[in-house]
Amino acid sequence: MNGVVGKMFGWFNSRLPIANTFERHLSKHPVPSKVNFWYLFGALASVVLIIQIISGIWLIMPYSNTEEQAFSSIEYIMRDVDYGWVIRYMHTTGASMFFAVVYLHMFRGLLYGSYQKPKELVWVFGCAIYLAMMAEGFLGYVLPYGQMSYWGAQVIISLFGAIPYIGESLELWVRGDYYISGITVSRFFALHVVALPLVLIALVFLHLVALHEVGAGNPEGVDIEEHLDEDGVPLDSVPFFPYKVLNALVGIGVFMTVFAIIMFFFPEGGGYFIEMANFEKANPLVTPEHIAPVWYYSPYYAMLRAVPDKLGGLIVMGSAVAILFVVPWLDNSKAASIRYKGVYSKVALALFGISFLTLGYLGTVGVTEVRKTMSIICTFIYFAFFILMPIYTKLEKTKKVPDRL
Amino acid sequence: MSTKQKVTKINKSLKFLVLFTLLFSINNLLSAEGGPCKDYGDCDKFKYALNDMESLQSGASTFLNYCYGCHSLQYSRWGRIAKDLQIPEDIFFENLVFDKSIKAGDLMTGAMPEVESAQWFGVAPPDLTLVSRVRGDDWLYSYLRTYYEDSSKQYGVNNLVYPGTAMPNVLAALQGNQKLICKNIPIIAKNGGEKRDSEGNALTKEKCGFLQVEEGTGSLNKEEFDKVIYDLTNFLVYVGEPSKATRERIGWYVIFYFLIFTALSALLYREYHKDYH
Repeated sequence: MNGVVGKMFGWFNSRLPIANTFERHLSKHPVPSKVNFWYLFGALASVVLIIQIISGIWLIMPYSNTEEQAFSSIEYIMRDVDYGWVIRYMHTTGASMFFAVVYLHMFRGLLYGSYQKPKELVWVFGCAIYLAMMAEGFLGYVLPYGQMSYWGAQVIISLFGAIPYIGESLELWVRGDYYISGITVSRFFALHVVALPLVLIALVFLHLVALHEVGAGNPEGVDIEEHLDEDGVPLDSVPFFPYKVLNALVGIGVFMTVFAIIMFFFPEGGGYFIEMANFEKANPLVTPEHIAPVWYYSPYYAMLRAVPDKLGGLIVMGSAVAILFVVPWLDNSKAASIRYKGVYSKVALALFGISFLTLGYLGTVGVTEVRKTMSIICTFIYFAFFILMPIYTKLEKTKKVPDRL
Repeated sequence: MSTKQKVTKINKSLKFLVLFTLLFSINNLLSAEGGPCKDYGDCDKFKYALNDMESLQSGASTFLNYCYGCHSLQYSRWGRIAKDLQIPEDIFFENLVFDKSIKAGDLMTGAMPEVESAQWFGVAPPDLTLVSRVRGDDWLYSYLRTYYEDSSKQYGVNNLVYPGTAMPNVLAALQGNQKLICKNIPIIAKNGGEKRDSEGNALTKEKCGFLQVEEGTGSLNKEEFDKVIYDLTNFLVYVGEPSKATRERIGWYVIFYFLIFTALSALLYREYHKDYH
């Protein structure tokens, strides 16, 4: 590079690590040359994060975080703000799609052992992102201040009350009032638009830094660092830019098509993305016939209801998320990928997947005796998958992992 | 047993498990809480037509003449409706807006005092801007057509879809007096055919709960009345989300754009991949 542009670039580059960073993390960053579609969901999650941040900023402008105006300001956005409905549906669809891709991304991790040494921290930061997302999603759902916002918040906040000794004061502290009110809405607003996004972005940054330090995995569970060329570049790798970027671009295209179909033709997602009762303004005097969380929390809600005791339910629900963090230290298998793991792991993962989906369904419908029994069984399978992991991964015979990709 | 056999066996049992879970959930779905339309069973299906201006205009006219006296549309503005429904503003304000102090940009907040109306009806008539989104189109379309005479109620009417509804049947003059009647219906045998006695006459049993309008009591016949309710429901679907028609129109362009985007990026990806290997 010569001339003015080259000189300017040189000036900046000697003061900021531009070229270095670009090479290290993009143009020379080696990624496995053979991966499958499961490896796209991380990129898709970052696309949705950007969609959420941008649409979120634009939603803050006309939204009003007061008890009197929260609900009507949403209708104002839907009716009087030019293309306000586009921005709002982008954000509501984005919330559901965020969870959809993150669930698939996490399942990929379980499928191909993306948490095994040395990627433990990548996994732990990922779990922290998931936890932060759950909080972020819940806070956001309260903001339109519809019936489901109100009663959903009522259910969740009352869970704090189940904690012994400090429960009641904690509940009051979270709510900021003796019942859910404008005070609750405005503090949830502050947390939703400032505090948690900052936490999320910081965690995503750490997730990526840790990933780039240890390198991305692949469906074979092969360590590509074992075979390097004379420049020290793994033989089974391609540079991230442009090869992986272009690969991701195709995935993003498919994903955005699905996103657009939902956003423009099924924005309520059949009552699973935006619940029908949330089109009614919050009314503390009228309980909706059927309180159900949005689909992405429903597996945990089913677990909560499976336990008759409130504190017990809270502990089960909390443990279900907490146990994800320690997965790297539960897996004793020599193979990372399910392709080379033994029969027990395969059966365990299949049962786990089925019970998680079943719990998801059960969390959205009313309780009957049969459904309660099913929830209990599925909750047991969910925990058994993790608790028994050290045993079945040790006992089973794994296949030999190949040297090269 | 070889590993391969073992794997097939496990695959089979997995498939069985998946099937079992699916069947279980379907069974659960079907045995869920009673129909959404209560005593009426399943709601009648409603398919909106948001580009049918005539239907929307007729629905708006029915709403403003029969419903707006009690029910507001507090998130909607007068001028927006005139514009979206392609009614020239002067005609709209002359014929459909009865309070002459109203301006196009005003919200349709209604004229009913909330406290007094709660005393009159038991509950204040709810705002209906979002009723189609809270209840669903099918529910609304069914509800407005399933009033029947019931002398035990305050206003002499009850409703199959919403038993014990506080709203009187405002449209009775159009529909006529609808009653619940009993009918003799053929008994269906297990094989699906009608049961007959030894002489070949069809066997019947009495079944109740059918709606029937007393002939000549309403100013419209059944088809005409159903059309009025269709238009009214259509209008309420529009008011629930005024940008719905635009949304579904723009949606096609966005999807088309992303399909092209996907195709081009796939071609580009293939091109780059070629020279790497």
